Amino acid sequence: MKKFITISFLSFTVLFAQPPSSQNKDLKFVFEPETISLNVGESKKMIVRLVDTKGKQVESQFMVRGQRRALAVEPRMSDSTGVSEITVQAYKSGKLSIRAYARGVKGGNVIGQLEIDVPNPPLDRIVFVEPDEKVYTGTIINYEAQVFDKANLLREDVDINFSTNNNKTAEFDRFGNLTVKKPGRFTITAKVEDINKTVKVQSKKNPVRSLSLSGPKNEIRTGDVIDLDAKALNSRGQAIKDVPISYSYAGTAIYSDVFINNKSSESVGLPASGTITNQGKFVAETPGIYTITAQSSGYSAIAKVKVVPRNVKKRIEVVGHGTVTDHHTSDLWVWPGVGKHKGKDFAVTGTHSADGEAYFWDISDPSKMKIIDTVKVDARTVNDVKISENGRVGIISREGASNRKNGLVILDVSDPYNVKITKMYDDDLTGGVHNVFIYQDHVYALSAGTRYDVINIADPANPFRISSYELDTPGHSIHDVWVENGIAYSSNWADGVHIVDVGGMPQSEQSRDKKNFNPFLALAGKGSPGNPIKIASKSDPNGHNHATFPFVSQSSDKFYMINGDEWAKSIPGSAERIYQGGFHFIDFTDINNPVETAIYQIPEVGSHNHWVEGDILYAGYYYGGIRVLDISGELLGDLYAQGREIAFFEGRDPNGKIPNETNVWGVIPYKGLIYFADHYNGLWAVKLVDNETMGTN
Amino acid sequence: MKKIFLLFSLIVFSTITVANDYYIYVCAESEDEVALIKFDGKKAVVEKTIPVGVWPLEIEGPHGITVSPDGEHWYLSMAHGMPYGHLYKYETGTDKFVERVELGMFPATMEISKATGLLYVVNFNLHGGHSNASTVSIVDPDEMVEVERVETGIMPHGSRILNNGLKHYSVAMMSGMLYEIDAMSMEVTRTLRTSPPAAPMKMSSKKGKHSSHSMHSMNNSKKMSNKDKKGIAAMGHMAAGHSMPHEKPTWVYPHPNDDLLYVVNNGTDNVVEVDVKKWKVNRTFKTDKGPYNCEVSKDGRYMVVTYKSAAKTGVWDLKKGKEVARFNNTRKVTHGVSISPDSRYAFVTVEGVGKEPGAVEIFDLKKLKLVAVAETGKQAGGIAFWKMTN
Repeated sequence: MKKFITISFLSFTVLFAQPPSSQNKDLKFVFEPETISLNVGESKKMIVRLVDTKGKQVESQFMVRGQRRALAVEPRMSDSTGVSEITVQAYKSGKLSIRAYARGVKGGNVIGQLEIDVPNPPLDRIVFVEPDEKVYTGTIINYEAQVFDKANLLREDVDINFSTNNNKTAEFDRFGNLTVKKPGRFTITAKVEDINKTVKVQSKKNPVRSLSLSGPKNEIRTGDVIDLDAKALNSRGQAIKDVPISYSYAGTAIYSDVFINNKSSESVGLPASGTITNQGKFVAETPGIYTITAQSSGYSAIAKVKVVPRNVKKRIEVVGHGTVTDHHTSDLWVWPGVGKHKGKDFAVTGTHSADGEAYFWDISDPSKMKIIDTVKVDARTVNDVKISENGRVGIISREGASNRKNGLVILDVSDPYNVKITKMYDDDLTGGVHNVFIYQDHVYALSAGTRYDVINIADPANPFRISSYELDTPGHSIHDVWVENGIAYSSNWADGVHIVDVGGMPQSEQSRDKKNFNPFLALAGKGSPGNPIKIASKSDPNGHNHATFPFVSQSSDKFYMINGDEWAKSIPGSAERIYQGGFHFIDFTDINNPVETAIYQIPEVGSHNHWVEGDILYAGYYYGGIRVLDISGELLGDLYAQGREIAFFEGRDPNGKIPNETNVWGVIPYKGLIYFADHYNGLWAVKLVDNETMGTN
Repeated sequence: MKKIFLLFSLIVFSTITVANDYYIYVCAESEDEVALIKFDGKKAVVEKTIPVGVWPLEIEGPHGITVSPDGEHWYLSMAHGMPYGHLYKYETGTDKFVERVELGMFPATMEISKATGLLYVVNFNLHGGHSNASTVSIVDPDEMVEVERVETGIMPHGSRILNNGLKHYSVAMMSGMLYEIDAMSMEVTRTLRTSPPAAPMKMSSKKGKHSSHSMHSMNNSKKMSNKDKKGIAAMGHMAAGHSMPHEKPTWVYPHPNDDLLYVVNNGTDNVVEVDVKKWKVNRTFKTDKGPYNCEVSKDGRYMVVTYKSAAKTGVWDLKKGKEVARFNNTRKVTHGVSISPDSRYAFVTVEGVGKEPGAVEIFDLKKLKLVAVAETGKQAGGIAFWKMTN
């Protein structure tokens, strides 16, 4: 009986067991020849053979494949003899491989691999980048060069060796810095492998006899950028303009704003930190006494700067809060009522991964904000919500529709107490609309994650698409679009921000009005909603560009694009990821030479949607709550470290969808208050309390 | 003694027979999680939920799922993409993430060939105007690298492979075509319009005009010339540029004998049986509204069809060619089906609408009745059978 049970059990085990994953121990592939090297474009024949442990050929069919888009193998399939003559052709360089597979053979799968070395194309030329050909003795000049190969590709995997033909006159260090020792003529050479490039350089006797250094102020706040003016002077006190000058700083920080006899109090751990550029711009992060040094030609000059705390911190006070208990909240919009609701104020919030609802709020008395209407559509996520400038048309986006036909929904919000669906629009938008923007009777709607469509909604009941804007870069993707004064700013992850004329407002060239000056407007005028024309772009080397806000500084002559990140990193030892990233300030004042000058980044948490009003940035910072940042003046370096953060607030609610946690999605300043949507618990109205500064940074 | 032995044998046998536990992986597309369902013959429970994706808040859309033939890994298509989706690889049991690889737009259904060991996944490309032909990505699941991408038609779906592992089949929803790919050579070898033979090959256009095509199938059992390849690819574009097919096929499933294929025509409410050798439609099964997926039991007796629009599930006796049972599902939007290897149970996913939880409904194919329901996260869709234990 025992035997019977055992047999029964075993038989079922066999019946139900999954076939084990197995690698064949008795068979293997051999490649003939055993090693092979190919140049790009070259092809070679070789033999692949399936053999047993004794080297005897085994009759079986197998497949051989090359590395995709790098190595082609023909034929891929062998016949059943167990041997195949293949032709391998290389399309790319690198340490590549071909792999052979035999599946379903007795004893398990057989996999073989042969490494194939495809060397890089030969190097072709070296090009110096704007080399100085006239230099002064006693100076140090950095030289740069680029290397191109025969395929005309810039090669960054090679080290360039710089040298001179006369080290007594001038000599390089290993970083490409040339120290000029004596007057004379010499040749500098950039060399890689067997190619080189030379430049003839003349060194002249250095006329500099002194250095002066002055700053605009001897006392600044943390975060204030000053331009230091260093001059190299000859014996007659005349400035020598083509002499390189370098800047550095040192200092002693303080923990408080107590300066004793204009000296820093002692500090132990706090560094005197800041940023100084090659152009002599300096900004401090910590209060203290700083010594800035300019150096050139063996001379130096110093300037002392007292840095005091910025003291911009304020308190945030809750004005009102409307709890959303059963769904996650997504984006928000706030607008003034029209018609019979003139004088009132309203808000709309979306829901995320929920039931396709958008909530309409009466916020006329923010302390008693309440949901006054709900629109429900076939969706799971209403990610974005927008209201037209005239307060009559609303757009909500749909994702997760049950019929997989997503798109957007056009609403009549003239009476926010009785919102009506005017039109469901999904033409070409079925994959889901993540974000939208309304501008002058047009909706700019993200489509397929690759472009934005421009849809005419002059008659909201009869919308129609009039154009699209899509990049042509490989694998391009888009996350957001924002339209202001007829210029569309789209956020395109690694492709960064694209600035597009969709009917830019005519602007007087003489107008330097702080409120409206935008250098892109000077170039606009050729595009229209139906004919979007790219004006400029700036890629994001990190690939995190999620949302963009144009910012005309009200207190400097600068025009910035504030580019927000969105990305998540894994937590060591956990399957979870956490949002990271911040806001990058791209100085677009010279639109032909945009440069990132500053960043605002909270170390532990990640950024989401943002808004600018005046010289203040309002940022939704996910788990970091809302953040309010002073962005007045020129912006340089680490704005968080500079004590520019005015306030932060975490809206926790015990009755939220996620109790007692915060996760801020979006933020809008409106009529002196700050409204924000918390993913975990609904809508908030808060205000900055002006008269209670919080002391030091 | 003989009687006792017989009785005991029966008890043991029946105990073993009914004591099986069935494990199924199910995607919740609007929840970004995969549920491992355990069914003991009476009750189905969510044994575990596995959060998937890399974004803490964005919905990335787990759509298609398959378990490797050796049962050691499961593979998941994350469809939504930025803009391209990914294939994820996990260990079964531990459900530990192993690796991922980027594919095309909206990767969806997939299966691994027993012959090549490669994974074939359709890039459904749900987005936009459905005007461009898409592809089938072929992935080495060991290394998680995309080996090849083969162009088929518009919105390819229903990626399934013959039991011998040699031929891959998919349908292109907006081309109205069945595509056969040679698993070894990775080339399209044959195409077939999925309309029933009796039906006129009318194609409705957006303008309301009709056109017909003289070519019902393309046979490329031999080596195909470049001209032929362009011709096949062009058929995908042709359907998009001028017309939209009535059939809108969404699924194809091979009979266990590898001689027949079952193609689900979502747009015309039927399933057609295709003779693999003759490469033509044998039979047509008229279904309820919006058939979406189907699967044939391993014993070849039953075909279970999900009726997405009708929110029902149909069980067809393939020998008789008759629907022997039709069940109302517990919620709307019936999606996928997987049948246990013992041909006893059909596991059907039902998406639900909005905030409604998704569900796996389990039908006893012997008794032809619903036996259990397990609720999952929102939009239960892709489903893959993992294992049976006792």
